[in-house]
Amino acid sequence: MGKKVYILGGYQTDFARNWSKEGKGLNALMMEAMDGAFAATSIKPKDVDTIHVGNFAGGLYTMQGHMGAMAVNNSEDLRGKPTSRHEAACASGAIATLMARAEIEAGIYDLAMIVGVEMMKSVDSKRGGDFLGTAAWYEKEAKGVEFPFPKLFGKLGNLYEELYGLKYEHLAEISAINYENARKNPKAQTRDWYMSKEHACSTGQYNMAVGGIIRITDCSQVTDGAASIFLASEKFAEKYAKKHGLKLKNLPYIQGWGHATAPILFDDKAMEARLAQSKSSGKKVYALPHTRKAITDAYKRAGIKGAKDLDAVETHDCFTTSEYAAIEHFGLAAPGEAWKAIEKGDIRIGGKLPFNPSGGLIGAGHPVGATGARQLLDAYKQVTGSAGDYQVKNAKRVATLNIGGSATTNVVHIIGVD
Amino acid sequence: MQKIKKIAVLGASGNMGSLSGGIFAQAGIQCVYFARSVEKAQAGIDAAVGQARSDVLRDVITPRSYDDLEKEIPDCDWIFEGLAEDMNIKNEFFSRIEKVRKKGSIVSTVSSGLSIRAMAEGRDPDFQAHFMGTHFYNPPGKLLANELIFHPNVSKDVRKFVTKFCDEVLGRANIVTHDVPAFAGNRIGFQFLNEAALYAEKYGVEKIDYLLGPYTGRAMPPLATIDLVGLDVHKAIVENVYANVKDERIETYKMPAYMHTMIERGMLGRKARGAGGFFNRDENKNKTVLDISTLSFKPAEKYKLDWVEKVKGLIYDGLYSAAVDIIKNEPGEEAAIVRHFILGYVSYSYARIGEVTPLEDGIHGIDRVMSSGFSWMPASGWVQLLGGGEETAKLMVKEKLPVPAELTKNEKKNKCQIPDISRFLIGR
Repeated sequence: MGKKVYILGGYQTDFARNWSKEGKGLNALMMEAMDGAFAATSIKPKDVDTIHVGNFAGGLYTMQGHMGAMAVNNSEDLRGKPTSRHEAACASGAIATLMARAEIEAGIYDLAMIVGVEMMKSVDSKRGGDFLGTAAWYEKEAKGVEFPFPKLFGKLGNLYEELYGLKYEHLAEISAINYENARKNPKAQTRDWYMSKEHACSTGQYNMAVGGIIRITDCSQVTDGAASIFLASEKFAEKYAKKHGLKLKNLPYIQGWGHATAPILFDDKAMEARLAQSKSSGKKVYALPHTRKAITDAYKRAGIKGAKDLDAVETHDCFTTSEYAAIEHFGLAAPGEAWKAIEKGDIRIGGKLPFNPSGGLIGAGHPVGATGARQLLDAYKQVTGSAGDYQVKNAKRVATLNIGGSATTNVVHIIGVD
Repeated sequence: MQKIKKIAVLGASGNMGSLSGGIFAQAGIQCVYFARSVEKAQAGIDAAVGQARSDVLRDVITPRSYDDLEKEIPDCDWIFEGLAEDMNIKNEFFSRIEKVRKKGSIVSTVSSGLSIRAMAEGRDPDFQAHFMGTHFYNPPGKLLANELIFHPNVSKDVRKFVTKFCDEVLGRANIVTHDVPAFAGNRIGFQFLNEAALYAEKYGVEKIDYLLGPYTGRAMPPLATIDLVGLDVHKAIVENVYANVKDERIETYKMPAYMHTMIERGMLGRKARGAGGFFNRDENKNKTVLDISTLSFKPAEKYKLDWVEKVKGLIYDGLYSAAVDIIKNEPGEEAAIVRHFILGYVSYSYARIGEVTPLEDGIHGIDRVMSSGFSWMPASGWVQLLGGGEETAKLMVKEKLPVPAELTKNEKKNKCQIPDISRFLIGR
């Protein structure tokens, strides 16, 4: 790792809100996240050197492109600042963060503002499902397919079934835990929804199968939301700490990161896994080797050995199968053995390595372009002991995994305090 | 700590009985749904299932007719009464329950404003010591408000237990309320609604609902709200308050004469279907509006004002303080009406501190019920948006509204605690 890049906190909007229903547009959503971030950190707009916006499909959902420029609407003091918008499907927020970090590491800027934003309830679910299909190879995997993504992550379930076997009850447990955690999170989309493992295991009109093994309870929901965080150089962080009576050593920083891209077609990913298995002479392989690479790269950069050195994970559970995979890919369980960690309660708050204490994408919500920033904000909250009712006791180091497409773009950050 | 394993729901075929009972079932608690017949109780279960969007609830709810009341009640830890708002009916069932309930079991009513003390009058000491109002709002799956009105004989321990249970197990937003007519939420909400109905006589239905629309901090305009609640229910609430309360604005609680005529003619609002209320639909399903002078319906004029549309546009873009500045400063009769209602609501809310909710709760109990029961901007939210207590007081004086002492006296204590108040400013 190069120079230390600090994270100074931020703000997320309440993911239960429906901004279209409130008669509000994208600008309102972005402004609230930015205003909230300025208020939460006491940072002034004039202090910001650069703004990176993470957004997946504003041009489709709201007919609004040029989202970097939209951020300047927040304050006259932001006029003239460099801005950009980053798109990598559901990993847009993390990609924006990678770019901001690189700028600070390179010594170009001292304070970067990241704004992840997505407004999805502006269209009906069928149309929205089609838009989400652009995160896959649209023409080959999504065109003319109703709700393509549950089907793609259903295929991940199929791959697991084929390689190691998969029981639905383990996916149901993942869903139930995420909802349970979300109830403790005052910003979570589903905090007041009914859920139980029994419901997740049920079938019928209220829990239909939407893609192979995937039922409604296995899916993250359509969400409106934005999250904003600040990254700072050591120079700025030192000044900031002094001003707020804090110690620099208590400020969280990015300890490691990883970034790896898999072939975009899910069938190509599955083919890779099968091929690797056939050559492995019985050794168990990772179903998503590029996701694993992003994780191990982050471990290396952070100078840690693996899952045992983490206190919590905010992972990308767009569907239960993606969290199932993440449990192994982070190394909490060996390949093919995520179910053991689930059964032992390892992923619960209070367990060996809590996954998604915030409720994750399934419980807290998944406003696509905002998710990466929201995960980092939650990691910040955990390591600063400010996560309220969903605080993981004594958390000092938290990893995030933000993926785009069907585990195509994989970005991992490790946030910690020394 | 007391365990709640099984509850009885009385009036389970009705909306509030079935959906409130469903909140207990969602927590995994065994529920016995009582109605006039098993079939009607079954319909209540279907409603609870629809609210939770889960068939799993069927495993924990049993349908029963009132014939089985004496058999089931002795096993129940909580008896949740959701019968019609009629003292005689409630008395009839409380009398049956009193004889068979186990000691220490909770008995609560979902009544929206009848006297808790009167309901338990003459009942045995253990009944009274465990009797309270648990006023859920409709639909409880979406609106989390729960007014808790304890009978004076309920011990501190039971109060603590019920409050904690409603919060942690049922996920309710509790508001401890005094045993006063219409409690806190309806008392404040229906003042606004009734005054809007009074103004409609002079300014017209369409204009009043347009001026006091969602951009003024509510999910639905006031006269459309009365249509949704039903004019008969509105009448029962406002007449109960008017007859039993004396306050500084009680004259705004007198239901206008034309509404009496509407009720006589069956124009009860949405539930009256063809007869309509303040609004109706013509044969082509187009929206029509009541002409109060003739009590007939006419096509909507789609009344609009430039400054109101500008306010909505600013809210759409998230420029809330600019929107509020227009509301504060716009000249003309219409803007004065808007200010009269917003400030009137704030004034009436702050004046009720100590009367409808405990004095020590400040504005916060009232704020909770108005935001999580009515989906209205909480009063302290308006104070914050308008520039603080002193500034709001000045505006009240200008509009010739009473300035409650609590508005400026305890500003720090009464600082708005409801998160994300911008969600109540609707840009349409």
